[in-house]
Amino acid sequence: MQHLPGIGPKTAQRLALHLIKRPEEEVKALARALVEAKTQVGFCSVCFHLSAEPVCEICRSPNRDNSTLCIVADSRDVIALEKTREYRGKYHVLGGLISPMDGIGPDQLNIQPLVRRVSQQKIEEVIVAISPSVEGETTTLYVGHLLKPFTRVTRIAFGLPMGGDLEYADEVTLARALEGRRELD
Amino acid sequence: MYLRSLHLRQFRNYREQRVAFSAAKTILLGENAQGKSNLLEAIELLATLRSHRTHRDRDLILDGATAAMITAQVERDLGVASLAIALRQGSRRLLTVNGENLRRQTDFLGTLNAVQFSSLDLELVRGSPELRRHWLDGLLIQLEPVYANLLQQYNHVLKQRNALLKDRQRSLAREQATNRSYQRQDAGTQAQVAASEENLGVNFTEQLALWDAQLAIAGTRVIRRRSRAIQRVAPLAQHWHEAISGSQESLTLTYLPSVAAEPDDPQVIQQKFLERLQERAIAEQFQGTTLVGPHRDEIEFVINQAAARQYGSQGQQRTLVLSLKLAELQLIEAVIQEPPLLLLDDVLAELDLNRQNQLLDAIQDRFQTVITTTHLGAFDAEWLKSSQIFTVKAGQLVEAEE
Repeated sequence: MQHLPGIGPKTAQRLALHLIKRPEEEVKALARALVEAKTQVGFCSVCFHLSAEPVCEICRSPNRDNSTLCIVADSRDVIALEKTREYRGKYHVLGGLISPMDGIGPDQLNIQPLVRRVSQQKIEEVIVAISPSVEGETTTLYVGHLLKPFTRVTRIAFGLPMGGDLEYADEVTLARALEGRRELD
Repeated sequence: MYLRSLHLRQFRNYREQRVAFSAAKTILLGENAQGKSNLLEAIELLATLRSHRTHRDRDLILDGATAAMITAQVERDLGVASLAIALRQGSRRLLTVNGENLRRQTDFLGTLNAVQFSSLDLELVRGSPELRRHWLDGLLIQLEPVYANLLQQYNHVLKQRNALLKDRQRSLAREQATNRSYQRQDAGTQAQVAASEENLGVNFTEQLALWDAQLAIAGTRVIRRRSRAIQRVAPLAQHWHEAISGSQESLTLTYLPSVAAEPDDPQVIQQKFLERLQERAIAEQFQGTTLVGPHRDEIEFVINQAAARQYGSQGQQRTLVLSLKLAELQLIEAVIQEPPLLLLDDVLAELDLNRQNQLLDAIQDRFQTVITTTHLGAFDAEWLKSSQIFTVKAGQLVEAEE
């Protein structure tokens, strides 16, 4: 249990003791569910989002806009964006960020399929939704450079959180927000 | 600003200690290893959230305890603030200001400002360039808190770029080894090897260009701020040096950045940064590390046209470091509009009477000062009279009788 992300030794112990106390059927069901998830859930062959089918639900949906593509680092980002219900286009999951320290270069990410997708399909806009960390900036730079010959490339805005007071924002966020300022409509 | 009181619980060798500061100058008297510097370290933590002695919080916690607590009352022009830092074994620090828990470090910083002057600072002139960069960075963080973030970002990019270069160095070495073993085989295999090598090379160049761009952006920010800080601190240090040496010596402080900071235009500096990287590209691949950037900056001290690092006498070096510290004190005061604290850790005994008096004259009663020393012999009598004196023994403070 301790190998799971976010679980320390104390929580691991608590979870283990809890499981032992539960009825056998319940534990078996959980074990089955875990094995099933592992064997059945894979990656969508188009966008690399988690999927039980070869092509995921979002990619198959006829109601979604085919001409917009949102690039994210991880499947978790797709889930977060989907919760907003504001985005009607499709996704492409890179599966990580460029980070030489962790031995991850462009070849370890789903970047080639992305270039193929953008160059072969009619895509009008690519939105890069990658966090502004050092690795995120580098990956954005790289992806943008590769895709610009084919289509319009934009990136999401960074700055103040909604409902946040200016005076409570930290200097770094504020500096970033100043950098990304834009004309009043 | 004035530090009214300090309360240490299970911090270093203090089990439970309250200190009320009743004079502008406090002297902590005691043998070595009794806890004098630990008390200054607690104040340093309140001012910077860093200790120059350790990076690990567990070193700060009393042996056998699970948590340490530092609380303080600080008087500022706008009122009194109470600060608290809880250091917990195997857990995050808890920071509070006026009873309110803070999520961000930057919100805690700035309530208490302090300039530290310890015997280690005497190495500043002769020591490695890293010491001088560290001194400048420490000053910059107090003047412009955002700088802490910019520097961290630069170091992060640097680490990534170094990892890439190291990787390249290893694969080049590997290829050389395989090439050698293929040399006596047919031409077809050799062509294959050459092709794969080329492929690897293109991929590497492409990736390196990404990190070059990032390094140039982050590095330029660091260079510009450092250059600006030197421009502000140099005339002050120069003034103090002249005063302390009785107008015998003139000091110049020069920032020698790895990439020229002139003219002060981010675009131009970034461009030069990239050019310098190009120039050193082969050496970098060969050595597997980044050779251009603010991590290789130098700050040069020159006294009467001679480099202080090589030619400065012991006395000149002491005058120089003292001038830097006084300049730092003055600059921080100008920026935050209140005099910061001065922490003198075991350093007064290292200065001769003339320099001591210069220092004491400069601080007078304006800067609250906490001094550690093993003996009172070297102190001026007037000074002793106006100071609050504590004896420190085995983690306990006792106020000396008049």
